[in-house]
Amino acid sequence: MKVIINSKEYQGLPGETLMELAKRNNVDIPNLCHKDGIEGQGRCRLCMVEVREGKKTKIVSSCVYPIRDGLEVVTNSEKIIAIRKNIILLLLLKTPNNDYIKSLAEEYGVKAPDRYVDYKVKENCILCGLCVKACEKMGTSAISLINRGTTKKVSTPYDDPSKDCIGCGACAEVCPTNAITMTDKNRIRTIWNKEFKLVKCSVCGKTFTTDEALQFIESKLGKKEERICDSCRKKIISEKFKESFKYF
Amino acid sequence: MIKENRKILVCCGTGCLANNSYDVYTQFLEKLKNTNIEVIPQVKATGCNGLCEKGPVVKILPDEISYFKVKAKDVDEIVLKTILKGEIIDRLLYFDLNDKKRIVSHKDANFYKHQHKIALRNIGEIDPKDIDDYKKRDGYKALHKALFEMTPDEVISQIEDSHLRGRGGAGFPTGNKWRTCSNYNNNPKYVVCNGDEGDPGAFMDRSIMEGDPNTVIEGMIICGYAINSNNGFLYIRDEYQLARKNMQIAIDSAKEHGFLGKNILGSGFDFELEIVRGGGAFVCGESSALMASIEGNVGEPRAKYIRSVEKGLWDKPTVLNNVETWANIPPIIINGAEWFKEIGTAKNSGTKVFSLVGKVKNTGLVEIPMGTTLRELVFDIGGGIIKNRPFKAVQTGGPSGGCIPAEHLDISLDFDSLGNIGSMMGSGGVIVLDDTTCMVDLARYYMEFLSEESCGKCTTCREGINTMLNILNNIILGKGKLEDIELLESLSETIREASLCGLGKTAPNPVMTTLKYFKNEYMDHIINKKCPAGVCKNLTSYSIDKEECIGCGACAKKCPTSAIIGEPKKPHIIEQDKCIKCGSCFSVCPTGAVKIGGALIESYNK
Amino acid sequence: MKIDNSIDYNQLSNILNKYKQEKRFTLAILQDIQTEFNYIPKEAVFHLAEYLNIPVSEIYSMATFYKALSLTPKGKHIIKVCNGTACHIRGSNILIDEIKDLLKIKPGETTADGLFSLEIVNCLGACALAPVMVIDNKYYGAMTKEKIMEVINEYKEAAYD
Repeated sequence: MKVIINSKEYQGLPGETLMELAKRNNVDIPNLCHKDGIEGQGRCRLCMVEVREGKKTKIVSSCVYPIRDGLEVVTNSEKIIAIRKNIILLLLLKTPNNDYIKSLAEEYGVKAPDRYVDYKVKENCILCGLCVKACEKMGTSAISLINRGTTKKVSTPYDDPSKDCIGCGACAEVCPTNAITMTDKNRIRTIWNKEFKLVKCSVCGKTFTTDEALQFIESKLGKKEERICDSCRKKIISEKFKESFKYF
Repeated sequence: MIKENRKILVCCGTGCLANNSYDVYTQFLEKLKNTNIEVIPQVKATGCNGLCEKGPVVKILPDEISYFKVKAKDVDEIVLKTILKGEIIDRLLYFDLNDKKRIVSHKDANFYKHQHKIALRNIGEIDPKDIDDYKKRDGYKALHKALFEMTPDEVISQIEDSHLRGRGGAGFPTGNKWRTCSNYNNNPKYVVCNGDEGDPGAFMDRSIMEGDPNTVIEGMIICGYAINSNNGFLYIRDEYQLARKNMQIAIDSAKEHGFLGKNILGSGFDFELEIVRGGGAFVCGESSALMASIEGNVGEPRAKYIRSVEKGLWDKPTVLNNVETWANIPPIIINGAEWFKEIGTAKNSGTKVFSLVGKVKNTGLVEIPMGTTLRELVFDIGGGIIKNRPFKAVQTGGPSGGCIPAEHLDISLDFDSLGNIGSMMGSGGVIVLDDTTCMVDLARYYMEFLSEESCGKCTTCREGINTMLNILNNIILGKGKLEDIELLESLSETIREASLCGLGKTAPNPVMTTLKYFKNEYMDHIINKKCPAGVCKNLTSYSIDKEECIGCGACAKKCPTSAIIGEPKKPHIIEQDKCIKCGSCFSVCPTGAVKIGGALIESYNK
Repeated sequence: MKIDNSIDYNQLSNILNKYKQEKRFTLAILQDIQTEFNYIPKEAVFHLAEYLNIPVSEIYSMATFYKALSLTPKGKHIIKVCNGTACHIRGSNILIDEIKDLLKIKPGETTADGLFSLEIVNCLGACALAPVMVIDNKYYGAMTKEKIMEVINEYKEAAYD
């Protein structure tokens, strides 16, 4: 499948979205609500691009747009830049103090009209929904998007500590604007109004996950897991790898 | 004066019920039981007659006498005079305000005379709870014809040939939809009725579901047969309780009569139908959100780059049409595509139901051939503007539509013409506005509506509409600046291009069209700090013209804050510090001496 | 928020038993719970999640998304004032202000005595009767400030007699 992006030809795979194709080929399409391994959501609208359909062009969101043979795409037309700027402006009005959004605004030369910005607003969440998707992928679904319209927010049911939350921190990790507060202090992790006991890595001694998260994984896998952190695990694997290739 | 087959039809649609028509109905039953009469007329509680404002409506057949605003206490007199003696009771007849005369049969009234009923053909004529009434008027004949005389392919061809376009808003060709869906062999497939009518000012779907539920059911079964689907869902708006009730009764009796269920009429074709009750979310009128809601999810739309005819409900091929579209199917099957095409215009065949509301004399439901002009609708059928005030504009298509100013009064009412001038047919709400409607306030009203109803999924709709609302609120409070117009225009463009679903994409329409046709009103608000319609309180003041005031004192009597002083027969004045700008004086003044001014008029006076 | 231990589980089971354990019935069940209890009790949310075997967070999303559902108890009588376009341009705002004044509640709230809840709705489809108000399921057309007082007093008298 041939797809032309900004006059350059790329080879698309069946079932791919435009965003997936672009990412695979290092073509930059700005976005906030897309992550590899999570299906496109079409929430943030920053990934709008122009595609040619016959004589007309159409504006589509690349994270959910299925590619087809012969597709022609323009990612940086004047129209697209104007849309992108306005979307950044809207996000800036919602989260005027967020560092990431502020840097985006700077990059695109977007300034919010003072009369419509409330600098007292502490909001950092842009409702991209990635945290909810990450939680769902973990198999926990402890958080969800609640309410609707301008009152929409991410939360656990009733803002209470959720019995489903395992404190894995996947939500905080995936968040593009650092909107989810997770603190690790004195071997205690606090997230979503709930406290978790942190577990130390049996190799390096650093805390790396919560008791609940380990138990959750063990119950899913049906076997005991060694208490080793990711970086130590990688080290061990690469050591083993080197060992086995020593005699070749 | 005893007539065989005499019928008394009492309208029991929501509008008439609100005016106690059920009491009228029961009173008739009671009275006739105790009257010495040879042939007791049949009394039927029917669906909506359209002219809700003049309800309760009672029709007497075959005499063709229509009574309006009937009260339970009028029933005795109707039975004694009209039923027993054939006399007409003048006071209950329709009074034509423009011709200044009373009319015996509603069919002669201007409101009904221009109408051509297809979708509404049975409403007001039958008891919606009685399937036999429907059958007597060719009901389920189309189903019989489709099942036994036509192949599924022929059914689809007939709908294609009729050029019927979806009555829900966008006007997509119905036959086209059915054809594409029938070509997918990914079973099970689904047939869905969108009964989530949410556009403020539109109530044709409610009336059809309440007044003629069987026609919707019949249309859906025929589609099921045509595209090879055995399951249908009727998604009905939460607020429409009576519609759900009548629909359920119709489904149950259709089952009893063998029109629904296994092996329909012995044809070997099976079809089941189920009602899904909405949850009170405007966005669920959007097809992908509606399907998400049926599946048991939050009603958030999805991108429709893959159409629902391919992947719809539970990712299966799905045909979704709105209530009015379904109601058109049986007549097309019975009478043929050619018959349908003779009505309306070349690319817009058939009729469209409009709900004519707002500042118009005759409000109610109107079914007219496509291509009728807006002028005919508002002035011939609607009887013109209340109190003969100047016509300003109409708003069509609800919050997704736009306003149409007087210069376009001769526009043909069809999908394409309305789209060409930036409005849209939508579901057919026509809200008539006069000079006392502020267009900036109207735009603000729709933005507020949409910001409450946005599902909040995509940035442009959620944040964009809210930002536009903030800007409009500023303008209305007198804090607007010239650059606000530019910002409104730029945001409108982005929301239109970049929003996820139809609700978001069309959301800026009310602002865009009012800016296009009534920019001077925006300027008046922003620069002159004046609301010409006297709606925006911060930008309005009232004063009395000394020359024109006759000193009748009507304004002073009406004024809720006693802000108006003056001696009898001498010019009155309004004490500005007491005035709350309610406008009572303006509407009551017989000589038009009360003038609307801007926020600054006070200082001019001093 | 207080935990509702007070709900009648028999009532809840009666509702659940009417439906198969399929996700598509979530909204229908929530509607029935709303009708039966006048709101969606917290316990019912957890119970329903278990019954349908779907995450609590998903049920909570539904319960907060749909306007017909409420997480706090509604009044005995629900006053819905239509603010559809036809009603808006015929002065529904005046009605809303009057009710706010009379009952000392804002839209979405319930009076202290639990008698009334006030809701603003977008078009009840009775535009010809604008402005329209509905109490429970009874329609009041062509409403005025004066008529509102009368109607509300009728309900008050009926309640306190």
